[in-house]
Amino acid sequence: MTANMSASGMELGRADMIVSDGVDKWYGDFQALKGVTAQVAEREVVVVLGPSGSGKSTWIRCINRLEVHQGGTIAVDGVELTNDTRNIDKIRSDVGMVFQQFNLFPHLTVMDNITLAPRWVRKQPKAEAETKAMELLERVGIPEQAAKFPGQLSGGQQQRVAIARSLAMEPRIMLFDEPTSALDPEMISEVLEVMKDLARGGMTMMVVTHEMGFAREVADRIIFMESGEIVEVGTPEHFFTNPTEDRTKLFLSQIL
Amino acid sequence: MSSSVVPPNLTPEDFEVEYSEEASLPPEDPSLSPSVWIQKNLFSSPSSAVLTVVFSVIAVLTIRGLLAFILGEERQWDAIATNSRLMAAQGYPLDQFVRIWVAFGSLIGLAGFSAAIFRASGTISLKRIAIWVMNIGVAAGVIGLLAPLSSSGRMGWIIAALVVFGVGAAIWFGFGEERRRSTFIPSIWVLSGFALIGVISLWVVPYGHYFLGEDGRATVEEGTVAFSTQMPWTVMWAILVVSHLVGLAVRDRLPAQASKGFLGLLWVIAPFVANWIILRDPDFDYDHVFSTDIPMALAFIVIGGAVLWAQSSSTIGETGRLLAIAILLAAVYTWVSRIEFLDFLPNWSMLQKARLSMLFLGLYGLAASNFSRDNATRRAYVAGWVIFMVIFHWLVTAVNSPSTLNIQSDTYLGGFTLTLFIAWLTLLVSFPIGVVMALGRTSNLPIFRLLSTGYIEIIRGVPLITILFFFANILLFFLPEGMEIAKVAAVVIGYGLFSAAYLAENVRGGLQSIRRGQFEAADALGLTTSQRTAFIVLPQALRVSIPPLVGQAIATFKETALVAIIGLNDFLRIANNTIPAQTDFVGAKREGLLIVSAIYFVVAFSMSKYSQRLEKRLGLGTR
Amino acid sequence: MTMTEPSASRLEVSGKPPFYRDVTVVKWLVQLATLFTLIFITWFLAREAGDNLRAKGLTSGFEFLGQPAGFNVSEGIDTEPATGGRALWVGMVTTFRLAISGILAATILGILVGLARLSNNWIVNRVGSVFVETIRNIPLIVQIVLLFAVFGSLSRVELDSGPINGWLHVTNKGVSMPRVFIADGFYQWLVFMLIGLVVARFVRKNRIAAQEATGEPSYSGLATLGVLLLFAIVGWFIHPVFGFIGGPLQAISDGIANIPQVAVQVALTALAFFAAALWVKRFRDSRRTPAGMAALTDDDWFRQIFAFVGAAAAAAFLWLVWPGFSDWIVNSSSDLFRVLADKFGDNPEFLDADGVARDRDGAPFGWARPDIVQPGNFANYGDQGLTMSQGFAAVFFGIVFYTAAFIAEIVRGGILAVAKGQSEAAAALGLSRAQALRKVILPQAFRVALPPLGNQYLNLTKNTSLAVAVGLSEVVQIGQTVISQSGKSLSVFVIWMSFYLCCSLTISVIVNFFNVRMKIVER
Repeated sequence: MTANMSASGMELGRADMIVSDGVDKWYGDFQALKGVTAQVAEREVVVVLGPSGSGKSTWIRCINRLEVHQGGTIAVDGVELTNDTRNIDKIRSDVGMVFQQFNLFPHLTVMDNITLAPRWVRKQPKAEAETKAMELLERVGIPEQAAKFPGQLSGGQQQRVAIARSLAMEPRIMLFDEPTSALDPEMISEVLEVMKDLARGGMTMMVVTHEMGFAREVADRIIFMESGEIVEVGTPEHFFTNPTEDRTKLFLSQIL
Repeated sequence: MSSSVVPPNLTPEDFEVEYSEEASLPPEDPSLSPSVWIQKNLFSSPSSAVLTVVFSVIAVLTIRGLLAFILGEERQWDAIATNSRLMAAQGYPLDQFVRIWVAFGSLIGLAGFSAAIFRASGTISLKRIAIWVMNIGVAAGVIGLLAPLSSSGRMGWIIAALVVFGVGAAIWFGFGEERRRSTFIPSIWVLSGFALIGVISLWVVPYGHYFLGEDGRATVEEGTVAFSTQMPWTVMWAILVVSHLVGLAVRDRLPAQASKGFLGLLWVIAPFVANWIILRDPDFDYDHVFSTDIPMALAFIVIGGAVLWAQSSSTIGETGRLLAIAILLAAVYTWVSRIEFLDFLPNWSMLQKARLSMLFLGLYGLAASNFSRDNATRRAYVAGWVIFMVIFHWLVTAVNSPSTLNIQSDTYLGGFTLTLFIAWLTLLVSFPIGVVMALGRTSNLPIFRLLSTGYIEIIRGVPLITILFFFANILLFFLPEGMEIAKVAAVVIGYGLFSAAYLAENVRGGLQSIRRGQFEAADALGLTTSQRTAFIVLPQALRVSIPPLVGQAIATFKETALVAIIGLNDFLRIANNTIPAQTDFVGAKREGLLIVSAIYFVVAFSMSKYSQRLEKRLGLGTR
Repeated sequence: MTMTEPSASRLEVSGKPPFYRDVTVVKWLVQLATLFTLIFITWFLAREAGDNLRAKGLTSGFEFLGQPAGFNVSEGIDTEPATGGRALWVGMVTTFRLAISGILAATILGILVGLARLSNNWIVNRVGSVFVETIRNIPLIVQIVLLFAVFGSLSRVELDSGPINGWLHVTNKGVSMPRVFIADGFYQWLVFMLIGLVVARFVRKNRIAAQEATGEPSYSGLATLGVLLLFAIVGWFIHPVFGFIGGPLQAISDGIANIPQVAVQVALTALAFFAAALWVKRFRDSRRTPAGMAALTDDDWFRQIFAFVGAAAAAAFLWLVWPGFSDWIVNSSSDLFRVLADKFGDNPEFLDADGVARDRDGAPFGWARPDIVQPGNFANYGDQGLTMSQGFAAVFFGIVFYTAAFIAEIVRGGILAVAKGQSEAAAALGLSRAQALRKVILPQAFRVALPPLGNQYLNLTKNTSLAVAVGLSEVVQIGQTVISQSGKSLSVFVIWMSFYLCCSLTISVIVNFFNVRMKIVER
């Protein structure tokens, strides 16, 4: 990777929250990540774009160790992601994650979904966790659904519950893995609104998405990946109006 | 919403909906007249007509043969009537028989109450009831026509058949098409109605009173059955109805989740309590109890409580877990060492108590870090230990005291009661082991996976009977000096280990149906592996596994009959060996075996029908 | 929501964590601790068992296999076995008989009942359902005991007992009917048939190719059958020409007998390690990437180490645990070839019990029918016909009915599982009902049904052990007798386990073979 690509938060005058340095990952003999190097600064919103199979999901899943990277280093908020249980616990409680398939727990009510981790990981008393959960549900706009089960909600509502569930752990970083891909078109905007709201509140965010409008509007920086490599990094204006790399141009011509 | 996203959306509500089989059936085609029906279903083509004739002949000959056997002059059905108590409970002392009724009554009461709380009873439409009653009438008519009866007997059957059929027809025609299709009656009331007919018949119909007389010979008295049969069954019927009514009355006032959990717990301990009522009446040696048993229990309560209080402190960190492991190791050491550092204890039973208590203390302490939230939680955690210790020490003391009832489970308890006990206890033993094995087999820890897979496959490759032989005859050799185990207990352990392997495969199916995303979401939230398993994975997996688990329970119940081979007096053995050896009933084997088959059939068949209904209700049957 | 400020004391970006916090290390520590605990408990129990057995004057060990049995067996290939091992073998053969005949009969009956349950004919359907529901809900052991009692209540064996005298006798001593048996010339004839098979295969390929080339029907099935029939008939008359094969077989047998034990041990050990090394090499190849070797995880290492541990365990078994195993292999393979040589019978060294040189020139098959010479009993396994004793019949019909009821459900489920759309699509393509069934529905139904069917065959085999309830001398019953004679309960238990595991493994392998084949055919 060339130096100009690994644009750092240091230039913005903020500390780096996520540092990914030469991260490699194989599945059998297929190399999914090839020396991925990038930084995400505090309060920065980074959108990762790229064709499917380009390794963008794999990369952000490595960041909270849902996948184990095999080369290079990842550090979150100054804590390196190694085999150390204490570091893994620290990073997981600092990093919230929202999945494409929501992954709500179907056998628990919305309220129990949200309070489960605060109560058993953070060891908060039940009442406190529930008050907090109601605040979060109000923030994502569905306080009236607290007693329902996930199967009774629409996809957009489920995804908003999933976001509330992550926020309940008071993370300092949020990872979004294609949060709107499994949604019907009319439900995408309600989820994107919640995400924009979070970004305005100063959350550090890494978002894998295909929503170009969201990227253009909210992103501080855009990282474009293909075949497990970072091809181009830049501001949205630079990326959408004046990309330098041919592969980026090809991608944009196909998608816009 | 996109329905493909979340797997079978099961919620607790799914288990509560009152289910009715007919509610969603389309209206029947009214144009189908009997002649069309026969044409369509029996003689649609020449080959079909041939098949109809052939199979009709087979069916008629089979029914006729069976009836001829049952009603044959030389049949000794009085062998069964005389020995009914033997088949139910073997040689249980007559003056203590009330204990069996108390145990049975408690279970029936619990069942009636639970059926109300869990809303387990389905409903039956009037139409279906009418069809049933008419079918019974038709069946009686068929018997009357086919059976080799005297002409007066035949007339009696046919008249009875006509009466029953008339009742069914009255129900059918007494209500309009709309009403008989849309009026639903809870099936438990229909069942108790039929049961009531049976109970009343005990009081009025002169079945005759069959018993073994003082000289040990079979004796018959004309008239109704004995009072000692009439009264208990009437009371049982009343308990069922009353407990169900009480359940219906209170179920909306009780907190649903909590009362269901409590009832579940009662069902788990019920077999032990019933066993206790039937087999033991401990004769405590109070000097010993006050001098050693209570101080020892107090020591474990106080010291253990203090240790647990410390372990659940939020500041103790990894030290707490190390302490628990140290206690565990010490406990294990007392088991395996022959140098007893607990030698100062007065006797062997005290030693066992100390060892087991230490083992439990270590295990219980391993969970301490989950309860470090605040002092209230810690207090509840320690209180759990105290309650457990009190029950445990009382139980061990009681077991080690002589019983005023001189009943050894091996020799005196038997019959159907024994069958039920073994089946039930086996299920309880196999469940935790099976779940652990299933978790091990799906674990990503290679050694655990290897061990569980090896266990499951080896056990599944071997017939049950060899395992039972092993545990009934060989297990004794493996026990440490001074430890003894009743044959029934050995059989339950062996059978439990055996069915655990099959149960594990059923649970594994449930585990594999859980999507990877569930694991990832739990990990991303920072849950530990044990929290993930307890809160996310197992609840979903077990729910999916309910239908196969019920099937497994039926199989376990059926295969309990194998204990007859290794010499336990279950009711198969009594029918096959004991009764035919009595002087009055030499060779009366087939009668008893037919009754045994019928009882197994009724229980297994109704269980499997219920499980099919459950499967439909859960929407799991279709793939 | 409130954003907490970055904590002041950031952890260092460090290399190795302490071992007790390292995920990988902790994971392996826990597993090894469990493993050693288990090993320790096993060792402890074994020690107790050893002490207790010694205290009771009992020993474990397998010497009884070679010592005189001291009891007779009521039925089987050898009713007066010379040694304990021979007695157990007699039981195993009875188990095989039950299992194999049971599997065949249960499959046929099960398919018929399954089809009956799918029938549109109301009474056929009902009879099938009643059969399945009744049989499935009564414990097999109860059914066997009941059948035994029913057979016991039948009429006595008389000179004229029926139903068809001389052809079928159903009596209180069991069932007797005509049988076909393998006679002297069978093995020569078999060689002839093997050649016939090769030829038939060739013909079939040829005919199918012709059909594909011209599109005309070429009756490949008929042609194949014709070739086989031709070989069978011709072989019936000229099979003695293959008698010469006996000589070479005897030579092979002698050759094998001369192999020293150490050579076998060395060869098998080398084979084990070679297999392990081959596996590891292939495993590592699968982890090789264009960019070099992928980093191996701890699981990967475990597998590689485990392969060699397995090989080492095999070696330890060969050299330390049972050194005689290699000898046993040599002897038994030599014996196998000697017996085969005998079957071809050109070797004048082999004589009949009567001292007559064996004549292997007779017909390949013979047949006989029951012939009661004396009231009261059938002779066991004489040349009189196929006789099932009372116990054998009870167990046989018990397991056949029971398994058939389950197979019926599997067959029915398999056919129902083939989506309705499949038969509609086949009909839309213009396939006839029979063609649709043969080419579209049955292949798919069979694929669905095969794994559970294999499971039922396993169950049937294990269920033969219930014969002990009616005193039929199969392997469990004879094992029990051995235990009561010699007290070697543990050893007999080990033999039971190994025997049934071998049976299960064999059936699994066969079912898996078909399963894999069908999957390949499908894709």
